[in-house]
Amino acid sequence: MKINILGASTTKFGELWNVSPRTLAKEAMENALKESGLKASQIDALFVGNMLSGILGNQANLGSLIAEELGVQIPAFRVEGACASGGLALHNAINGLKAGQYRTVLVLGIEKMTDHNQDEITNALMAAGSDEERMAGATFPGVYALMAQAYMQKYKVTEEDLAAISVKNHYHGSLNPKAQFQSPITIAHVMKSSKIADPLKLLDCSPISDGAAAVIITSDDSIKIKKPVYIAASEVATDTLSLHDRKSFTSLSAVVGASATAYKKVGIKPQDIDVCEIHDCFSISEAIATEDLRFSEKGFGAKDIAKGKRTLFKGSIICNPSGGLKACGHPVGATGIKQIVEITEQLRGEAGKRQVEKAKIGLTHNVGGSGAVAVIHILQN
Amino acid sequence: MTTSPVKLWRRQKNVTSLIGTKGKILQWTIIRVPGKSFTSQAPYPVVIVKMQDGEKMIGQLVDWQEKDLKSGKEVISVLRRLRTEDKEDIIHYNIKFKPL
Repeated sequence: MKINILGASTTKFGELWNVSPRTLAKEAMENALKESGLKASQIDALFVGNMLSGILGNQANLGSLIAEELGVQIPAFRVEGACASGGLALHNAINGLKAGQYRTVLVLGIEKMTDHNQDEITNALMAAGSDEERMAGATFPGVYALMAQAYMQKYKVTEEDLAAISVKNHYHGSLNPKAQFQSPITIAHVMKSSKIADPLKLLDCSPISDGAAAVIITSDDSIKIKKPVYIAASEVATDTLSLHDRKSFTSLSAVVGASATAYKKVGIKPQDIDVCEIHDCFSISEAIATEDLRFSEKGFGAKDIAKGKRTLFKGSIICNPSGGLKACGHPVGATGIKQIVEITEQLRGEAGKRQVEKAKIGLTHNVGGSGAVAVIHILQN
Repeated sequence: MTTSPVKLWRRQKNVTSLIGTKGKILQWTIIRVPGKSFTSQAPYPVVIVKMQDGEKMIGQLVDWQEKDLKSGKEVISVLRRLRTEDKEDIIHYNIKFKPL
């Protein structure tokens, strides 16, 4: 069964104080519908990726809320898996098509974070971790900082090498009109930014953001599509909630597992990927991801990025042309779907100033918690 | 954030058995921007410790100096007040680590 993408759209990401979650959702869904040429009444079901609406917004009936906003009375599900909620929602939607229960579905990723203060959000995001981590006073930057320490120590990688990842992503973000940050930065900016959890500094960390993204997928092959892009693989793997319970602090086994299965199912090698969206919640995450996805040798992920090997117009296997979580923004539940929107635009050749030339195969890497869940999608045109 | 007294009571049954165990720091970081109930203690280190029995634990490092922050540093588990509670919350004690 071929799963085609009919419409893909994201709102602007950023601190959108004048916009409500309903408005955000509506904008993303209506633009995706417009692109697909379908009416809301032609959608069989809704899948919503969201992490924090229950904790921050006291809203735990999100499926129905979004269906109401779309003006339909169809099956609607909210899917949660921390920062991988968006990717997991898409995986569930695909399963709905494969089971034959639905033919055309809409998947929305959404998060509204900036209505709340920083302490509350820091606490809420730790819901993705374990009790032990919370009682240790750990924060999410803190848990990734522990990985960064282990990685730098093991592979003799410097803070400047990690800083280069944020520099690349800000450069890419400067080419994306939907990005939260569209200003380039330098290594010196990153090194001088305030420390959050040593060795991670403010500019090693993705921001707190609002945003929504929507895709419409179908198994109906009678629908004609001008620039077809299809989902060739959708794989999920899980791991322990706590970082300290794992054998390695410098590799995420859920990513290794899910990506290996995805490559095998599509019958491609990692080096066949032209463009990918990486879950760079922190600079260290992208370094480790490019190794776990087997783009770079172990210990060389950050160094390869610092050499320009993943940069637009320069490298191969371009990582995060959207600006990634760092520069495009990270409304947690929306991120996994935004990644799909970006790769869809890349494979259609509609990515404007940030277009990867002749992109044929794209990958998305969406991670929840400190690696407790990973969702990998491979898209082709 | 309030903690359910039942949850606390269940947890604290295990805590006493963990006091006074030695281990070594595997990794450390310093939390400079904490969640709400830890703000009064920041900045503070969080460490992953390999205990004598081989089990790994995560915890806060207390009574620390800059020189203690290195892999291999020996630590011992101690009982400490966990965080700042809300006015009517039960005081929560838990395991933290102290350099040796």
